[in-house]
Amino acid sequence: MTAHVPQSGPQSGQAASAVPVQHRRRLFESPAIGRMAPETKFILYAILIGWSLFVLFPIYWLFITSFKTAPAVNEGPFFLPFIDYQPSLHAWRELFVIDYEDTLRAYLNSIVISLAATALSVLFGSMAAYALSRVSFAPNLVTILIFVALLIGLIVAVSAFGVDWRVSAAVAVALFFLLARAVGRRYRVSLANGDILFWIISQRILAPVVVVVPIYMMFQSVRLLDTHLALIVTYAVVNMPIVVWLMYDFFNTIPRDLEESAQLDGATMIMTFREVVLPLSRAGLAATTLLVMILSWNEYLLALFLSTTNAQTMPILVAAMNAGERGILWWTMSVAIVVMIVPVVVLAVILQKYISKGILLGAVKG
Amino acid sequence: MAMAGEAAATADTVAKRITIRNMNKFYGSFHALKDLSIEIEPGEFLVLLGPSGCGKSTALRMVAGLEEISSGQLLIGDRDVTDVLPKYRDIAMVFQSYALYPHKTVAENIGFPLKVAKTPKAEMDAAVRDAAAQVELDQLLDRFPGQLSGGQRQRVALARAIIRRPSVFLMDEPLSNLDAKLRGNMRAELKHMQHELGITTVYVTHDQIEAMTLAHRVAIMKDGVLQQLGTPKEVYADPANMFVAGFMGSPPMNFVEGRIADGVFEADGVRLPVAQAADLSAATLGFRPEDSRVAAEGQGMIDGRVFAVELTGDQTLVTLRRGPDSIVVKMPKDFEIQENVTASVAFATDHAYFFDSQSGDRISARLAL
Repeated sequence: MTAHVPQSGPQSGQAASAVPVQHRRRLFESPAIGRMAPETKFILYAILIGWSLFVLFPIYWLFITSFKTAPAVNEGPFFLPFIDYQPSLHAWRELFVIDYEDTLRAYLNSIVISLAATALSVLFGSMAAYALSRVSFAPNLVTILIFVALLIGLIVAVSAFGVDWRVSAAVAVALFFLLARAVGRRYRVSLANGDILFWIISQRILAPVVVVVPIYMMFQSVRLLDTHLALIVTYAVVNMPIVVWLMYDFFNTIPRDLEESAQLDGATMIMTFREVVLPLSRAGLAATTLLVMILSWNEYLLALFLSTTNAQTMPILVAAMNAGERGILWWTMSVAIVVMIVPVVVLAVILQKYISKGILLGAVKG
Repeated sequence: MAMAGEAAATADTVAKRITIRNMNKFYGSFHALKDLSIEIEPGEFLVLLGPSGCGKSTALRMVAGLEEISSGQLLIGDRDVTDVLPKYRDIAMVFQSYALYPHKTVAENIGFPLKVAKTPKAEMDAAVRDAAAQVELDQLLDRFPGQLSGGQRQRVALARAIIRRPSVFLMDEPLSNLDAKLRGNMRAELKHMQHELGITTVYVTHDQIEAMTLAHRVAIMKDGVLQQLGTPKEVYADPANMFVAGFMGSPPMNFVEGRIADGVFEADGVRLPVAQAADLSAATLGFRPEDSRVAAEGQGMIDGRVFAVELTGDQTLVTLRRGPDSIVVKMPKDFEIQENVTASVAFATDHAYFFDSQSGDRISARLAL
């Protein structure tokens, strides 16, 4: 076997006096991998600062407007408090001293409704998501179609032909079990988890405005219009698809080995969920909760239909100021919006520490 | 299993026999495990060996209770556990991924099985320290898995498995995520620990060296079918078919395809007399790299052109090309030969194996030189 010793190259003897390669750096060319060219940096920061101003200025504008009086608004635009105009608590007093009942009611309504709706949708939505991510469902398509057909038949029988609903319901249930056993079993076509998931998210693809009138009529018929319950239930249901979708993805990132290992070690289902799944889902749950909370907090359309005075929420209150007899009250509106922003910011700060990455590090491979 | 018997006697836990009877697994119409039957002795270290997708992990997960048994029977000790939940089977499992809880410290991870069993705090702490000491982790009890190296994580997983003193250990490729050097160390530690504890162990791997070194017996699987069950020595020296012969040993056995007619094995340029052989239109001759040597042209049994010479440190691997086929020969480390010269391969007649090329089964033919 011959040994191939590499020939020493012509340069090797001159290594000590080697001159580094000289070349001019082109414009926007980075000086090293992972570093930015100064020109790029400048432009990037200019864009970022511009965008920040664009985003933050309205909030600043809102904040200072809440301390303005009518003349300060109408004669403006004034941007600098104490210099351009004298700030006053006039609008704050109007909302929280004179009209405090309306303001506080709407504020409390918003808090109660958003919290309750968020809790409900996150609780049930994540339960559904966990089931979808861990259990294989295969509902028979024909059985589902039989169910839908019988449901329509039931409605027609009761509303068009005046059959007693108890009789029709009993007949429909009996027919369902009969047909499901006789016909449904012959067809092997079944849905899978992906179909169920898509069906759930499709509820959210539909714009709420499409169903707002039916929802209104439903609550009217059960005499629940303008109640907290109506809004809580509606928001919980409307936001549930988002929870299911987000949490389904999140649960899928938790390795199954962990749960299997816990179960091998003797843990029950509930214990596995409490000890393993829940702590690892904290980040996902926090992010989802925040998102759903914000969606409920800001919701306007459904609240407009389902509430009048008792269950009126903040978005409705603010919008109402737009149409008072005294014209648009920019100053009180600004106050209302400022106090509306506060809870969301507080929640975001509280939940932010949970929305941290890397929680799964070390679970499986390094 | 004299060795396994001894191990069981030294341990304080009662090792249990595992009886697998005609176990089958179907995923829809896919038949993943076909009629597996193995009797695993108390205290035995059994390795399920095979390429990925051969059903070895499925078999292990069925023993663990993580997969349903489609048909067949599983006994642990005298209990029929075919339809019993994993937690009632008295087993512990080490996963390929280790499956450590990232939000729990090392101590909490190791103590989890006891916490689940509602063991008193003081007793649990003592047991955790004990188990941690056994795998040399006592200094790291307050760390989180994310702060540990691969080998340390592996030890945490092991400690969590041994703390409960189960009657059966199940291990699913526990060493495959470690680098080569660490794998060697951990292999020795695993073997030592299993011997000390004397717990019946089923170990899944695709690495034949792990199987050879760890196992009391090896079960080699392919496409859901058990190919051969025997001691490492048996499956190495007396392979049942071409698959087993090719799977055990590194580099794998060399195969030369040909036919047997009138007591002669014939292949392209090769004529070797064989005994005890019926005529066979497609027969394969097999011999191991370590049983053969390179000889001068015409001096051996099969000629070929030297294609590559690789020095691995303790030996030299010579690859010869014969048409499209390669033959690898293991030579001493100081062996030297030029590439591209024609040489010959010689091997001992009692180390030649013949197989039916169609079925892959070993046939009784012997070289008669």
